[in-house]
Amino acid sequence: MYTLLSGLHEYLTRREEFYVIILGLDNAGKTTLLERIKSTFLGVVGLSPDRIAPTVGLNIGKIDINRARLNFWDLGGQRDLHGIWEKYYSECHAIIFVVDSTDKERIEECKETFEKIITNDEVEGVPILMLANKQDLPNSLKVEEIKEIFNKIALKLGARDSRVLPISALEGTGVRESVDWLFIRIQRNKQNRPPTFK
Amino acid sequence: MGAILSRMLGRLWGEKEVRILILGLDGAGKTTILYRLQIGEVVTTIPTIGFNVETVTYKNIKFQVWDLGGQTSIRPYWRCYYANTDAVIYVVDSVDRDRMSTSKEELHAMLDEEELRDAALLVFANKQDMVGAMSAAEVSDALGLGTLKNRQWSIYKTSAVKGDGLTEGLDWLVNIIQGNEQ
Repeated sequence: MYTLLSGLHEYLTRREEFYVIILGLDNAGKTTLLERIKSTFLGVVGLSPDRIAPTVGLNIGKIDINRARLNFWDLGGQRDLHGIWEKYYSECHAIIFVVDSTDKERIEECKETFEKIITNDEVEGVPILMLANKQDLPNSLKVEEIKEIFNKIALKLGARDSRVLPISALEGTGVRESVDWLFIRIQRNKQNRPPTFK
Repeated sequence: MGAILSRMLGRLWGEKEVRILILGLDGAGKTTILYRLQIGEVVTTIPTIGFNVETVTYKNIKFQVWDLGGQTSIRPYWRCYYANTDAVIYVVDSVDRDRMSTSKEELHAMLDEEELRDAALLVFANKQDMVGAMSAAEVSDALGLGTLKNRQWSIYKTSAVKGDGLTEGLDWLVNIIQGNEQ
């Protein structure tokens, strides 16, 4: 009887856990975004952007939405660290790809990197959200322009939810909407990528 | 009364004591790093049997740094020091390719310990001043850092004798520790 009750209690109070990886070239603003997500959803003061150094490793952020937990893995974006990304593919429920909208010189490199991610079998069907970051800067590419650049490889996305949204991680605009969009897609993709429970 | 007063003063100046362990195989450069951090100089070291402990103040945070001996025979004693540890600095000799797998095993055995569940991991890929040193990406691959999913980690290329990379690593630690405080 006790086992039954405690089992029921566990079932009722268990929490779904999802993992989101944040990828993109170095200096795209991944860690700034993570800190902004933390401050938006947790109400704590995140790390101020001038103190964020290039990531060489893994930063973690956790937020709760509707009793589910979203874990964010923010990985280093320098070229020789891209090999580490793949180690996190099989366990992720969604991907955020951050683009520095002001870095027109590296947009091709950005495209190649993105293509490599979406064609990896381990993340097939996983929802992917591209964030056109740094929209607070005047010389930034607009979402339409970025879409046009990436449209050429959009076919390779396969059957999955995907979207491009404008944000400014620095000022926080668009961040909440982005996470909300992603959360709904993760829920919809539960059959394909079931949550872990804690 | 004295304790309360000192705690209030500590809060005023934002001083907080953080417990750090420096671990790694023998000859990785742990003791050299400890004293480089503390007095900013390269000291002549002998293999540590037992431990060295020093307090290092950096950016208003007091680090109580434990440097534990790295020889095979004394590694089993590391675990005696795990309790209440905020972060582990794991030092690797980036030139010693032969023992990279041993280093990996020791690292993961350590991280499996319950007492270190919440400790952040800072890896120093040390001895970068030497020819043939592995890059940060190579070391992180050799150590299997990509398998860590629930722990914040970071790796820095360092040269303890030249003093390179150490403060960058500490800056990362400071950010992590201040983030956890909230």
